Amino acid sequence: MRWLVVAGIVVLIVGGFVLIKPPTPAIIVAPEYIFSIGPLEVTNTMFTSWFVVALMIVAAVLASRSMSLVPGGLSGAVEAFIGGFYQMTEGIVGEANARRFFPVVATIFLYVLVSNYVGLLPMNFAVGATHPGTGEVQAVFEQTSIAGIDMAYIPIQADTVDTTQEEALKAEHAGDSFSGLLAPLFRSVMTDVNAPLALAIMSFIFVEYWGLSTLGLGYLKKFFDFGNLMRLRPMGIIDVFVGLLELISELSRMVSFTFRLFGNIFAGEVLLLMMSFMVPLVLINVFYGLELFVGLIQAFVFAMLTLVFAQSAVTSHHGDEEHEAAHE
Amino acid sequence: MFDRRPSWIPAPPGKRAAAVAGGALLAATPALASAAEEASGIAALGFSLPSLVSNLINFTILLIVLRLFLYKPILRLLDERKARIQEGLERAEQAASEASASEAEARQAIEEAQQQARDLVAQAQEGAAQLRAELEERARADADQIVARAREEVAVERDQAIEQLRREFADLTITAAERVTRQSLDRAAHQRLIDEVLVEGGVGDQN
Repeated sequence: MRWLVVAGIVVLIVGGFVLIKPPTPAIIVAPEYIFSIGPLEVTNTMFTSWFVVALMIVAAVLASRSMSLVPGGLSGAVEAFIGGFYQMTEGIVGEANARRFFPVVATIFLYVLVSNYVGLLPMNFAVGATHPGTGEVQAVFEQTSIAGIDMAYIPIQADTVDTTQEEALKAEHAGDSFSGLLAPLFRSVMTDVNAPLALAIMSFIFVEYWGLSTLGLGYLKKFFDFGNLMRLRPMGIIDVFVGLLELISELSRMVSFTFRLFGNIFAGEVLLLMMSFMVPLVLINVFYGLELFVGLIQAFVFAMLTLVFAQSAVTSHHGDEEHEAAHE
Repeated sequence: MFDRRPSWIPAPPGKRAAAVAGGALLAATPALASAAEEASGIAALGFSLPSLVSNLINFTILLIVLRLFLYKPILRLLDERKARIQEGLERAEQAASEASASEAEARQAIEEAQQQARDLVAQAQEGAAQLRAELEERARADADQIVARAREEVAVERDQAIEQLRREFADLTITAAERVTRQSLDRAAHQRLIDEVLVEGGVGDQN
């Protein structure tokens, strides 16, 4: 039995090499255009993000409908997860703050997690719009018609056209082959740099809002500390400089948030693309496993960093010093 | 590496060998390129305002919906459950303390009853002893009284007897003297007379 499984795996690997020949992968950073809604050009990551949001809303509504004091079923699982995450949040920032921070932090975590996992579904890079005549190394599409709808597909043994050396294929008659690239309908949301940027901006806005609403205008003293300078003390210059550094580090968090998430997920996508080109069957699953892990870790890191920044924003440093002084 | 590439160039299918494009999507022309088409450097990453705004809106919607349908009810539920459990525990504790209190009460009652019983027995014993002592005392007093009365009676009787005897003896003596004086007597006759008198009087037999 065990040998049969091993033999099956070997056959799949070898068969993948022999029978399946995907076109050369083209690595594209920016999200691709899919279709338009009025003036809005919808890209594939935008489309996928809507899909993710819809999925999550449906799941949330379904889970909330069957909620009861005695847990069970889907709502029980969701509840256990949310409850666990809340307990962890409470453990980090205490109960009063947890009640305020939790919705945002949990939404960040869930949105990033679901986005990353939807980005690993097999429909990604399989279905999409064709962009004929684009790209340096183009895949050759065959045209066909299924139930009266015109479609194009890349055959299992794909041909490619290197436009630096040969002419791109153009379909002059219906049914001709043509060459171009495929813009997949679904693409992992966080490979679009705008998505992590939007989350980073949201995280920044909420952190500043919490800081301001907790400490009042005193919160801004962290960034603009002119107190000593006004009294003509030499320490004032250092305070101003420190405030400037604080301001820069506060703003640069957005950049680090954005590129940490974008870089990890985009790199994962490139890795999966290249690996599925080289080892189309079986071995690719190792990398899918790795990406599952990366997707979880990145979601967790984004949420936890937001939580920690929020906690440090609502903590009065000045007050701490007074507190310590009072103890001494 | 990527910056000279037009930004909208689609990626080829990686995993799936066959790619299918819907007819409607097929009609889309590549003429509509994104703003980053000719950009280079960091802009080649595909920064675009519509996408950013779309993502901001997405997040806001998610935040509101999840808060409404997930966080609020779940946290309320968890709070409620926590309160229930706490209440249950408190009630159990209360019941346990009540049970121990009532047990202590019962034990105290039993102890009290025992004490009372002991007291009663002691009291009864004391009473009995007292009664016995009293009765003994009374009996002794009665006996003493009886003895005293008997003695008195005896004394009275004796006195009476002595009195009577004396009177009779005097009579006898008088009688004997009369007889003596009527007859002159020798010594033997004298004695005989006295004895006769005595026998007639019954004194010698009775005493």
